[in-house]
Amino acid sequence: MSNYIVLVKQVPDVARITDNAFDPETGNLIRSRLASVINELDAQALAFAWRMKEISGDTEARIICLSMGPPMAAEVLRYGLSRGADAGVLLTDRALGGADTPATANPLAHAIKKITAEMLAGNEDYFVVAGMQSVDGDTAQVPPQIAEELGIGCIPYATEVEFIDGGFRFHHIISGGSQMVTARRRPTVITVAQYDYHLYASFAATRQAAHRELVQWNADDVKPTAMGGSGSKTRVIRVFPPPKTDRLGRQLHSVAELAGVLREALNKQASRGDEAPGGDPDYLLPARRSSWFDRSFEGATKECDDFAHLAVILAEQGITEPEQLTEEVKERVLAAKNLELSPKVAAKMLDGLQQRETAYQGEVWVMAEHEDGALNAATFELVGKARELADSLEVPVGVVLAGHGVRDLAPELIAAGADQVYLLEHPLLQEFDPLSYRKAVAELFAVHQPQILLYGATPQGRVLAPMVAYRTGCGLTADCTELTIRDISRLGQLAVMMQTRPALGGNIMATICSRNSPCQMATARPGVMQRRPTDPDRRGEIVVHPVELSEEDLGLEIIERAAVGGHKVDFACEVIVGGGKGLVSRDNFARLLEELTTVLAAKFQVKAGKGASRAAVEQGFVERAFQVGQTGTAVGPKVYLAVGISGAIQHMIGVAASGTIIAINADPAAPIFKQCDYYLVGRAEQVIPELIDTLNQ
Amino acid sequence: MNDSLQDYNQVDVLIVGAGPAGLAAAIAAKHRRPELTVVVIDKGAAPGSHALSGAVLEPGALVRLLDPVLPGWPESDEAKGVLLAQVEVDDVLWLPGHRQAWSLRLLLKAARLLGLGYGQMLHAGDYICSVSRLASWLGKVAREMGVEVLPGFAAADLLWDEAAGRAAGVRLVDQGRDREGQPQRNFLPGETIRADFILLAEGCDGLLSEKFIAKAGLQRAGEQLYSLGVKELIRVSDQQYAKFGMHRVVHAMGFPLWTPLSGPDVFGGGIMYPMGDNRIAVGIIAGLDYHYHDFNPQNALALFKEHHYVRQFIEGGTLVEAGAKMIPEGGWDAVPRCPESGSIGKGNVILLGDAAGLVNMLKIKGLHNAIESGLAAAAAMASALETPEQLAAAYTAELSRAGVEREMAAARNFRQCIARFGTTAGLLLAAGGRLLPRFKVGPDYTRMTNEAFPRRVPTPYDKDTFTALTRTGHREEEPCHLLIGDEALCRDRCLASFGGPCVTFCPAGVYEKIGGLPRPANPSNCLHCKTCQRKCPYDNIRWMVPEGGEGPNYSTM
Repeated sequence: MSNYIVLVKQVPDVARITDNAFDPETGNLIRSRLASVINELDAQALAFAWRMKEISGDTEARIICLSMGPPMAAEVLRYGLSRGADAGVLLTDRALGGADTPATANPLAHAIKKITAEMLAGNEDYFVVAGMQSVDGDTAQVPPQIAEELGIGCIPYATEVEFIDGGFRFHHIISGGSQMVTARRRPTVITVAQYDYHLYASFAATRQAAHRELVQWNADDVKPTAMGGSGSKTRVIRVFPPPKTDRLGRQLHSVAELAGVLREALNKQASRGDEAPGGDPDYLLPARRSSWFDRSFEGATKECDDFAHLAVILAEQGITEPEQLTEEVKERVLAAKNLELSPKVAAKMLDGLQQRETAYQGEVWVMAEHEDGALNAATFELVGKARELADSLEVPVGVVLAGHGVRDLAPELIAAGADQVYLLEHPLLQEFDPLSYRKAVAELFAVHQPQILLYGATPQGRVLAPMVAYRTGCGLTADCTELTIRDISRLGQLAVMMQTRPALGGNIMATICSRNSPCQMATARPGVMQRRPTDPDRRGEIVVHPVELSEEDLGLEIIERAAVGGHKVDFACEVIVGGGKGLVSRDNFARLLEELTTVLAAKFQVKAGKGASRAAVEQGFVERAFQVGQTGTAVGPKVYLAVGISGAIQHMIGVAASGTIIAINADPAAPIFKQCDYYLVGRAEQVIPELIDTLNQ
Repeated sequence: MNDSLQDYNQVDVLIVGAGPAGLAAAIAAKHRRPELTVVVIDKGAAPGSHALSGAVLEPGALVRLLDPVLPGWPESDEAKGVLLAQVEVDDVLWLPGHRQAWSLRLLLKAARLLGLGYGQMLHAGDYICSVSRLASWLGKVAREMGVEVLPGFAAADLLWDEAAGRAAGVRLVDQGRDREGQPQRNFLPGETIRADFILLAEGCDGLLSEKFIAKAGLQRAGEQLYSLGVKELIRVSDQQYAKFGMHRVVHAMGFPLWTPLSGPDVFGGGIMYPMGDNRIAVGIIAGLDYHYHDFNPQNALALFKEHHYVRQFIEGGTLVEAGAKMIPEGGWDAVPRCPESGSIGKGNVILLGDAAGLVNMLKIKGLHNAIESGLAAAAAMASALETPEQLAAAYTAELSRAGVEREMAAARNFRQCIARFGTTAGLLLAAGGRLLPRFKVGPDYTRMTNEAFPRRVPTPYDKDTFTALTRTGHREEEPCHLLIGDEALCRDRCLASFGGPCVTFCPAGVYEKIGGLPRPANPSNCLHCKTCQRKCPYDNIRWMVPEGGEGPNYSTM
């Protein structure tokens, strides 16, 4: 008999943002002004667990909801109790607040142990079922890190479950497709990416839930080994509103105009991508600057200004080297009449200026990802970014290449900018399995201790990264859109990586730094970073690292790997045509998109691919792997052509990295028209054939 | 209490609708009899999310409701956040065209002195409030007293037992069907809730209320007449808001709905209320007895907003919320009653507030009577505790004792005069309406003609933005909750005669022509106003209840 522990989180309702929710001064979203609701994917996770119980015919199985949060989070447990959960456990303590993902995963894992021991009679046959990510954090890190803390398996991105021959089979999304797997061991963590049969509250159960006592535990009850702000491996430096859209939002009035815009966008963009980044360097180590006291690479503009002011005073006093900053000199500086900083702040800044060492040492690494014998586009983008960061830091770029028979891919990585390729080869690494991969990568990491490790924010990267980070005690920032090296001189931290990411459904941006962490880890959205031009003459080294794995190290048994529509999904295209509900039928979707992508590819000599909105997938027009957006795949083509897509925020976040966005929709009020560069009002069945004709002329 | 799940399907008092009437009944009942299990269900996601009104509240009934249960309540921050300000200036305006505005205040004051009914139209001293916020707050008060307020549960039917002369309970709607009506894997059949007392406080044109009226054989002496209100909340500049003031309300007659003799003739008018935080509510209320086949309530609102008087206060403002709802305007003659006993309900089932039709058209208000009906219901339950089937009779007596009957009877015939004789003549006649005999007026839907509304707007109103600002939503895959009785009527008769008016009158743009035929194409946009059910010229649309927790999410309507 299996039991189910469902993780539920209370989150601000970002789907219904009230008009007063933004601070008029700063433009920041004020979280407390939003209503609190259950995280949508956690509601789906509860339904998924309920489905597992139902199809296994196991009426004795218990479903226990677990939530960590303030006392008001009891609401989400009552949500569970009114929908078939047997019990609710609330983990609440001030000491648990302010935690990042490892400091959240740890107490939850300990609570799970306590639940098993005390509420499930020590039965170790259970599933932890959770939403893949929460709408406020969007990190997708907590469930894999719980698996890591508990030392159990993890099946990420589940979408469906079947019960065959006495066992569960899970359908789950992987990079570029989907798989059907079974869990080799129990307990196992399952994260649910999409399961649309949410449960309805029953009247009687809702009333009963209101009368029920919940189990409530505090930190002492579960005894976590890391928690709260002090147990966190990252800290938020700055929160700011997302940049205003710079999309043109221009209406087109004819298909001929549309064809012209397409032509121009594809040609123009093609040249921009090849240009090597030039101009001022992104970052210079302090030793390379004209003066040691030049602090023009601080994380915040105000800091730059303050240090510039201090530098002027130091120059007036004839101080040019950090060695000269004796206590006596410092006092003199602090006493200077023209010092406009508070002495306390200035004293800290002077201390910081004496720091000579960079905060982190070691190489800049990238975790490579490949499918069917080819590296994916995200890998090359990350190598490009890593090269830029490593050049600033004056360290080598290392790429971790794991798999079986993948050595041939190494030269491509070197040509793209790698100095070392760390090869992890083993037959058991043939297919991606979170457990075996995280073991191999963590072992390699321990030997070489890089200062930065980047992963693609793909279905693979987003489960591997949190497990490796947890295993190695590192901070990790998910889904970054910007990575830069900056100083935090006031704290004496030189050359740290500032990791900027959208949060709260894209309503705010946060810049995050690692802390108490041997290495700075981040996943980066595909399509956001720029790949560098390939240089076949580059030299690099292949470092083979021996891998020891046995069947024991695997978590999944792969039953079937779905070849999506005969061929795999490839979003690494110059142009992607995304189809939505406006295409009306599966036939239309297949035919119109196929014809258009074929013509685009032929006419412009580019790679053209297909994508879909969530609505189109739900309507059954196309397989789920084609879904573009926050729950699907993020894409960043030169041109994204959205056909019959309304423009839900989750979709638009996923295509934000596109060069030019062109929308075709029959609804003149479609929200996408406000978030694109060009739009044409018209029905897909009419516009696309016309467009094809025009392009063919 | 024995903790079997089944037991929770049995309650003492079941109130359908968490609006002012239902919550007032719940609060008063729980206060009188704390031992009773009082449960309020509502199809909205939260109390107040489906509540919309002007509103100006005559506070007497609210004071009588809250004084005993929440001493000192008027001083609480919450009360001040709900009862925003007292009306000092009630600008009743006559708008002859799109520029001028003449004040009728002196005229109405004179009418009041003369004892004419119209004097009641002045509201000085009453409170400006948002009824969605009022309901939300009353919901909280009720919960704190131990009332079980359960939003998200939509009632589909009343289990009326004609032989017993009482209802056994209420059945909730089935949830989790696919578009074709087949149960999905998460299907939850509607539960049956059994109750001793059933209070129907669903608001205007309630689904259960109308079913109950039909099943129990209640009758209306006169036809129920409806009007539709569409309303926007606009955030304006500090200067504009200061100029408008916190203590002024505007009720405007004339442009764009009605110009005597020469222009259009739709009963109704425009309103402007200050709602705090620099927000002004601007709305149009239009009697559904209008006869223009292409009348679009929001185009009328757009015209009203363009009027010079209105524009000065809202120009350049930001739309922050919107909503639409019907108002039952038929008055006392349209209140459904048991033909034998005259009670407003039957057995253990009663009708409260707008569900009964307790709107006084001379005051243009029903909120005070809604709360009053809640108080009456609680008093009636207390006296009929051992004999639930006596509830309806006791309730009707309480309503009469509270003066609701007297007030409502004074406004009798007001709306009927206008429906019968047109706005111009009707308003004149209605001055002495209560003295006229009852006369027959057909239902609103019978009034449609092929005449076009004579005023045009430069750009048609953007219903999609309006709908988005109501924050309405329904599960896309559920069965359509708007049923077309006979498609042939739409195709063969309505199109030819009227061109499919549902496409224009539905404030949410639910209806669209697909293949030339008007269809409920976007049921997920529905605002639950039910105008379609009352204005389809062939009475060919039925509004069914969708899944619980759906529909608009009003916060300051």
